[in-house]
Amino acid sequence: MPTPKIDPLLQVETTCGTLLYELQIIWDEVGETDVDRDKMLLELERECLEVYRRKVDQANRCRAQLRQTIADSEAELAAICSAMGERPVHIRQSDQNAGSLKEELSKILPQLEEMKKRKIERRNQFVEVLEQIQKITNEIYGSTESFSSKTVVDETDLSLRKLEELHRQLHELQTEKSDRLKQVQDYLSMLNELCSVMGMDFKQTVDEIHPTLSDPKGFRSISNNTIEQLATLIKKLREVKIQRMQRLQDLATTMLELWHLMDTPIEEQQMFQNVTCNVAASEHEITEPNTLSVDFIKYVEAEVSRLEELKSSKMKELVLKKRLELEEICRKTHLVPDSECAIEDAIVAIESGLVDAATILEQIELQIAKVKEEAFSRKEILEKVEKWLTACDEECWLEEYNRDENRYNAGKGAHLTLKRAEKARALVNKLPGMVEALASKTVAWEKERGVEFLYDGIRLLSMLEEYTILRQEKEQERRRLRDQKKLQGQLIAEQEALYGSKPSPSKPQSVKKGPRYSTGGASNRRVSLGGAMVPAHKPDSLHSAKATPKTRPSKKSDHLNHRQDDGIPAFSAVRRGLDIAETPVRKHSSTPSAVNGKEPESPLLVRKPFSPISSAVSSKANMTNMLEVEDNGDTSHKMLHPSNDLSHTTTPLKTIPLVDEENRTPKAMPIIPSTPSTLSVPMQTAMTPAPSLAPIPFAITKPVEEIEQSFEERRLASLLSKIQMTSS
Amino acid sequence: MTSAHPPPAPGRELSNPPTDGISNLRFSNHSDHLLVSSWDKTVRLYDASADSLRGEFMHGGPVLDCCFHDDSSGFSASADNTVRRIVFSHGKEDILGRHDAPVRCIEYSYAAGQVITGSWDKTLKCWDPRGASGQERTLVGTYPQPERVYSLSLVGNRLVVATAGRQVNVYDLRNMSQPEQRRESSLKYQTRCVRCYPNGTGYALSSVEGRVAMEFFDLSEASQAKKYAFKCHRKSEAGRDIVYPVNAIAFHPVYGTFATGGCDGFVNVWDGNNKKRLYQYSKYPTSIAALSFSRDGRLLAVASSYTFEEGEKPHEPDAIFVRSVNEIEVKPKPK
Repeated sequence: MPTPKIDPLLQVETTCGTLLYELQIIWDEVGETDVDRDKMLLELERECLEVYRRKVDQANRCRAQLRQTIADSEAELAAICSAMGERPVHIRQSDQNAGSLKEELSKILPQLEEMKKRKIERRNQFVEVLEQIQKITNEIYGSTESFSSKTVVDETDLSLRKLEELHRQLHELQTEKSDRLKQVQDYLSMLNELCSVMGMDFKQTVDEIHPTLSDPKGFRSISNNTIEQLATLIKKLREVKIQRMQRLQDLATTMLELWHLMDTPIEEQQMFQNVTCNVAASEHEITEPNTLSVDFIKYVEAEVSRLEELKSSKMKELVLKKRLELEEICRKTHLVPDSECAIEDAIVAIESGLVDAATILEQIELQIAKVKEEAFSRKEILEKVEKWLTACDEECWLEEYNRDENRYNAGKGAHLTLKRAEKARALVNKLPGMVEALASKTVAWEKERGVEFLYDGIRLLSMLEEYTILRQEKEQERRRLRDQKKLQGQLIAEQEALYGSKPSPSKPQSVKKGPRYSTGGASNRRVSLGGAMVPAHKPDSLHSAKATPKTRPSKKSDHLNHRQDDGIPAFSAVRRGLDIAETPVRKHSSTPSAVNGKEPESPLLVRKPFSPISSAVSSKANMTNMLEVEDNGDTSHKMLHPSNDLSHTTTPLKTIPLVDEENRTPKAMPIIPSTPSTLSVPMQTAMTPAPSLAPIPFAITKPVEEIEQSFEERRLASLLSKIQMTSS
Repeated sequence: MTSAHPPPAPGRELSNPPTDGISNLRFSNHSDHLLVSSWDKTVRLYDASADSLRGEFMHGGPVLDCCFHDDSSGFSASADNTVRRIVFSHGKEDILGRHDAPVRCIEYSYAAGQVITGSWDKTLKCWDPRGASGQERTLVGTYPQPERVYSLSLVGNRLVVATAGRQVNVYDLRNMSQPEQRRESSLKYQTRCVRCYPNGTGYALSSVEGRVAMEFFDLSEASQAKKYAFKCHRKSEAGRDIVYPVNAIAFHPVYGTFATGGCDGFVNVWDGNNKKRLYQYSKYPTSIAALSFSRDGRLLAVASSYTFEEGEKPHEPDAIFVRSVNEIEVKPKPK
């Protein structure tokens, strides 16, 4: 029988049917009883049921297990989610059961896996942060127990918030760490500075606190303990520094005092400049390395003790110096120094060792201070005394002067003496008032202090008194003399009546008054007018004319000397003679015939083109001549455009002033008497026209006006002529 | 003929210089403005510190002198015989009056509030610039001089007039009727320039023959004993002295020392009291026509411009240099 093989159950059923059929056949054959048969069939039924029941049970158990697994997974997932602070992705709801259990499980499992993975990641993050926190904490708090290699992570809370919190904590710790590092760094640099200033080994000092600190690059201990230790160390060192600084400053002050006392040379001081410059420095200002090292302080100490030794050896000298200083002040203020500690005594005392030189020095210094103070109080009166004394001097001088019979004679500086006398008289008139004022001031001073005012050891009041008495006596004497003179006058009058002759009571020299005026300012001015004045007063004015531009008297003599140096000793004499013969010479003046033929180089030749020029010009040339004689003997002169000449000579550069030629000629032919005469000819002409004494000549003599033109006038003229030319 | 002067800077050269000879230049008393008169018939106003030309004022003829009134106006003396007032901001010029000949020099007296002009017509005229225009009202007085006026200088109420014929008249501005003193120059040659000491005790006078005289107003013997003259602006060449005219004198407003400029192109600074030369600036391209210190003495304006001392001839271009003055160059050195 073809049975479809598709359904095994069907097959089983068919097989069961065929088997039952087979069994019936067998039974039939065997002939079993029906009871047996039924019994057998029941048994068969029962066995079958058993099998079914077992299988159902098994399936049921399987189902339960599956359910349990799902529940577990879900629970785990929920736990993880809650630990990670996340909303569960999937919450099963029994009534919404979409698929079979196996489906459900297969859905949940990957989620669970995913979550587990994330959890592990999160956990690792936590571990990492925690480890860092732990590390920094250890660094900071210096817990020596090395932290447990496995950080305990609270598995129940792996939320992001917690992570964040941890991160924050870590950050805080990190900032604290960097703060601490900075602080340590600060402390270290401070320490370094202190060590360098005090000459200590920085490395060693730091090593004592923590060996890691001396390493400039590597890890540094930043624990509480280290920082505390650093702070205390710095405090300690600073105290030491201040101590040393005070010590050094004390030394420096002593040093300065000693230098001052002994006038130590600057070079020697220079070596300790770096010490003394810190005398007034405060602690933080001293930063230079080694300034406070033990060695350095010892070095300075040595110097100070050396100076001290020197001082004691020089004490005598110092006492002398101070004493001199005291005496100088006393002298200036006209005080008499205490004799009790005169130098000699002091020296003897010191040498004999009776007294300590230092105490004497101190005493003298005290005295100096006292004297200075006193001098200050005396100053006002002293100034007055000074004035009074000079007035007295002036009075004496005036008396002497009044006695001098020749006092009105003109002489060098006579006007100065006159002026002085005038001033002295005014001063003398003020004297009584001055004395009175001085006396009252002095009395007031004495009253105030209860001490006598001494001037060079003499009581000032007695000096003043004495002076007043003297003055009164003088006054009496003067009155007496006046009376006597009057009497004498009467006597003379009587004599005259008798004999008719009158002996002059006046001074014999009074005649000399005249020449004084000639030295006055007026004549000076005349002198500066130059040669024009020569004819007016011949013999004197020639000299003055030579000195023309410079009125200083000393120049005059210089000038004359110079002239002689130039080898023309006879020159001035000759000229003087010529001056006298002035008039005839003048006639020759402008005629070239006067030129001496022997002198081809003679200045007159050069001058020839100028001959029509008004004599004003040549006079000017002569003046320069004389000026030049003053300073350069034989350098020839070239003048750049003395403009006056211009209208006549086209190239003014060529004009060689007569001056030097004149100077030269006498040198060339020293003793030819005729030369000077030719020379002097132009000079005379120079003098005649009086270049500009009065404004009138300019008005009359047209040529003069034409000659003198300033550059501007010439420029304008040329401009105008140009314009004319172009316009015509 | 371009200049080839040595490298050491003679000071800053102002751009837009006058195109013909510079007759004078002056600094203002209130600023670093510089007024320049020239033969090119202009007066120019420069801002020396900014090197800018602020104004140019044409005249009828060459301008021989100029001076400031205040920072907004000035005066000029022209060869067309006129005296003009220039208002810088308007570019306006009005004629204060006329002389009978070219006007050689002009000064403004702050003390008298008057303009004083000297002319080749042998007169000095005083003008009141406040008067309405019209000669009748501006002219204060005319004072005859012995000769043509060549140079003027003022200090306080004193006015020194140097004329041709080497005359020097000293006036008191308060009484112009006649000179307080009539003098003759103590130099033997034509006067080029006269300038009063800033302290009012005297004046310096220069001549065409390389010489400067230092004079004092006080006629007492003691004062007159102090006067003296000295030689300057000369050159020794092959044993011969070349003597140059001294065209300009300018006193330093602070130290009282003074600068002289000559046709040799040099500017020298002198200490008159100690009789010393303090400084010589490097040579300028041509003659020094005028000099002026600024109000604080920190700047020195130098006009390097041919002054016609050798007649018509080719010459270096006219230029104005403004140099800053080092204190050391002008401070008196005690002996």
